[in-house]
Amino acid sequence: MAIGLAGSRFGRAQEDPVRDHSRVPSISELKTTFEFEAVAWAKLPRAAYDYMAYGADGEVTLRRNRDVFDEVDLIPRGIQMAEAPKTELKLFGAAMAYPVLVSPTAGHSQFFAEGELATHRGATAAGATMIVSNNSTYPFDKVAAAAKGPVWVQLYPKPQLDANRAYLESAQAAGAQAVVVTIDQQASSYERALHDRNLSYSNPAMRRPPARPGSTNPYRISASRLWYEWKLFDEIRPFVKVPMLAKGILTAEDAKLALDHGVDGIYVSNHGGRSLDYDPSTLEVLPEIVDAVNGRAPVLFDSGIRRGSDVLKALALGASAVCCGRAPLWGLSAYGTAGVQRVLEILQTEFVDAMRSAGCPSLEAINRKIVAAQYS
Amino acid sequence: MPVPRLIGEPPGRIAPVAELINTLEFEEMAKRSLPAAVFAGIADSGPSGPDRDAFDRIAFRPRLMVNTTALDLTTNLFGREMFAPIIIAPVPQQNRLHAEGELAMARGAAAARAVMIAPADSTIPIGKIAAESKADIWIEVNAAGNPDAAREKTLGAGARPIFLSPGAWDWTAIDQFRKGLDAPLVLRGTFSAETAKAAADRGIAVAVSSRAMEVLPAMSEAVAGKVPLLAQGSFRRGAHVLMALALGANAVLIGRPAAWGLAAYGPDGVQRVIEVLQTELARDMAMCGRPNMASIDRSIVRVRQRRAV
Repeated sequence: MAIGLAGSRFGRAQEDPVRDHSRVPSISELKTTFEFEAVAWAKLPRAAYDYMAYGADGEVTLRRNRDVFDEVDLIPRGIQMAEAPKTELKLFGAAMAYPVLVSPTAGHSQFFAEGELATHRGATAAGATMIVSNNSTYPFDKVAAAAKGPVWVQLYPKPQLDANRAYLESAQAAGAQAVVVTIDQQASSYERALHDRNLSYSNPAMRRPPARPGSTNPYRISASRLWYEWKLFDEIRPFVKVPMLAKGILTAEDAKLALDHGVDGIYVSNHGGRSLDYDPSTLEVLPEIVDAVNGRAPVLFDSGIRRGSDVLKALALGASAVCCGRAPLWGLSAYGTAGVQRVLEILQTEFVDAMRSAGCPSLEAINRKIVAAQYS
Repeated sequence: MPVPRLIGEPPGRIAPVAELINTLEFEEMAKRSLPAAVFAGIADSGPSGPDRDAFDRIAFRPRLMVNTTALDLTTNLFGREMFAPIIIAPVPQQNRLHAEGELAMARGAAAARAVMIAPADSTIPIGKIAAESKADIWIEVNAAGNPDAAREKTLGAGARPIFLSPGAWDWTAIDQFRKGLDAPLVLRGTFSAETAKAAADRGIAVAVSSRAMEVLPAMSEAVAGKVPLLAQGSFRRGAHVLMALALGANAVLIGRPAAWGLAAYGPDGVQRVIEVLQTELARDMAMCGRPNMASIDRSIVRVRQRRAV
């Protein structure tokens, strides 16, 4: 968080000892998405904040997801553009104003009482598509009906095909324009319980490490997601009438296999650093996946997007559009619907500025020549 | 007026062992349990601490949608089946860490179904440790002094793998030591690929003891599957173990974390440390789509290079 605050008015609090720093700033005072995190942190119960912020194990991948954007440079064009860059695109035939969607994230009511209803309203106000989590607090149809903007639905596959069918068919009936099937995070673990314990040692219930239920192996890990196989996509295809994406892809090999099994889009993600620690940052592996997909399907991208320039870097390396999970949740936690809208608008505005400085008049003009990576 | 401490760990508290989540947490508990001078010998923090950069340069290439419900960490070494590829390294003079020393370590190892290597300077005779242990015990021998005398000492402990730690011996001395010895031999140390190849050609297994992440690929090529390749290298996470296996190791040695567990909790701590690593390894194998030892290969890791800017 300290890094996110660099350069912001909050980071300078020590230089201004007279002013009351305990006040919650008005939404119009916040200029970057990072600044919403501090307000979210101040407003949320510690467990809710930790749930949103955590990464798997030692959070190496969580850090990589941000660090990598500092290791890819945008090459400024140095020529003034007369006209505003055009940011419109078509994704699976649907028109979008900006290539920025809301990633699926669970349980929004722990951040704001109206939960996903407020998130959908905020996304709609910003003209962005929302991907509704399988683990949303409100049922999909209620979320879809809360606002007019487009919604997609995310699925954690169940071993019972009928359960997948019932969920996907009802979501499509309620207006889901695409289905995102998450295939990573089969057996991850969450260690912020450690922080919780250190903060509340007097409460014995908080001290226990999380139980690992459902283990059928001698290694004490839950087997509930170990059964995943590619044929799942073939099995659910008959009742998915809308575009279907595989989320969690980090290798060229798996991107090709996903296409072989009939998916319509590849979603590059390391689950925001919450799946396998020491996963690569998604920006690092994006080019190999884009090369493997070779234009056969759109490639979506998430895990680490916080600035408009991040969006441009991901698009330069081949993403068709990006998704963002935590930043809209910071907005939701801090200011409800208005916060979601504002965070997305900041990303959109910064993206336009970044396109302008890179000399890109439209999304078609964005390519690998506008970036330079410091690693190989 | 003193402010009552309402949040945070009380200073000096030893948390119940079941509260600890990962091996790193055991270090602080060991620190609170030991005299400072003893703890310094097993501390990660400080000048003798490990270099974490090697792991930071490696990223997994997780392969998805591979059914791993039949997850199996069984490892075969020297014709013996092991529960998982995680071995307790020889930690010297364990009575400094716990009143029952090596016996307590052996009990914890057995409870976690792990092999333990009894240290050369054990405070308890190897025969006694072996007699009381329900798990396989290997023996560490320092490659120093008279090879015949060293051999005679090990013979009393029965036929079990011998872990030869670096000393002054050359190949002639090692060959002399092996004469008539009906036990697998593991040569531990920091050495060139040529030395590793020479060991493998003699049927001697190899354990790399430093910079494992960097040297494993070359070592793996040198031993060419002729003998087992072991690695010791500041592994604190199941992910670190999986990286070593992917780069060619057949099993890994865990030193300091086991010592932390022993110091803070005795056998229960040793058991918990090893079980945490087994669980993390199994979990990460599942997420890389690698359900057993034979399926782990180089392709699940990528070593990242950073360009000079």
